Amino acid sequence: MKKQKVIILNSEHQDKQDFDAIHDLQEGLQRIDQFPVYTPNLQWFEQMVIQEQQNKRKKLIRDLSVFFMIALIILSGMIVSLYRMPAIFILVQIITSIFIVLYTSIRIMKKANHV
Amino acid sequence: MGESEDYCRMDALIKNAKKGDHLAFAMLFKENYPFLVKYLMKITMNPDTAEELAQETMAKCVQKIHLYNGQSKFTTWLVSIATNTYIDQCRKKKREKNWQGQEEVYRKLKWHFESRNEEWNDCLEALGKLPEDVRIPIILKHYYGYSYEEIGEWMKLSPGTIKSRVHNGIKSVRRELKLGEETESHYPEQRTSR
Repeated sequence: MKKQKVIILNSEHQDKQDFDAIHDLQEGLQRIDQFPVYTPNLQWFEQMVIQEQQNKRKKLIRDLSVFFMIALIILSGMIVSLYRMPAIFILVQIITSIFIVLYTSIRIMKKANHV
Repeated sequence: MGESEDYCRMDALIKNAKKGDHLAFAMLFKENYPFLVKYLMKITMNPDTAEELAQETMAKCVQKIHLYNGQSKFTTWLVSIATNTYIDQCRKKKREKNWQGQEEVYRKLKWHFESRNEEWNDCLEALGKLPEDVRIPIILKHYYGYSYEEIGEWMKLSPGTIKSRVHNGIKSVRRELKLGEETESHYPEQRTSR
């Protein structure tokens, strides 16, 4: 019984100390909140947004162009191999299918192990 | 009444921003800029880094505004993006081996306090000595009042991990502030009776 009491008292004291530390931390952080922060004017923000929207559009155009170029190269390669070298076409198909199955199973296994 | 009006106004601004209205975006950012910089100042402990990261966070917001679903407050969404931006920056710096070490983190903030003739708080120094993956959850939990689940989601960690990091972080702060030593001197009898 006595042992239990001591444990409770100790844990209560630990909690109080934690509470004190948290309170001190909050006070310290509040001081940062009192720091004056220079806020730029509305035009500066607008300019920044316009610049960022332009960057976003440029990136989208660049990504789409790269995607279509790669797709075009792969498709032309496939069509050429289908008509000129059917054996290679079939081989590529088999290798791609095996790769997709292996990749998907490894991903699923990794996810299951992680959970 | 005032709060609901404010909420409606923010909602309208977000809707217009999603449509690509740059003025709505600018107004949203201008309104939330001090909050964002102060949050970043607390986690980075460096006013210059905070301003730099605030700009990066706003740029990310413009890119990802379509992902904001309105379920949480806009400031909460900003905090989550800012947190990830800072974590990414830290990882990048560690990879580049430009990392100055934890000792250096709070010095700039201390200098700013001193230059404004404000008293420096030992707690901030203790917080600055913690690694950023411990400092961030402590600030988010105990200053902003976010839940372990929310913090875990943003930092891509389980709520249990966040909880233990906060707990251990507070213990380190206590140790740094010498709060632990009081226990030993005040409770010697209890220890022997156990």
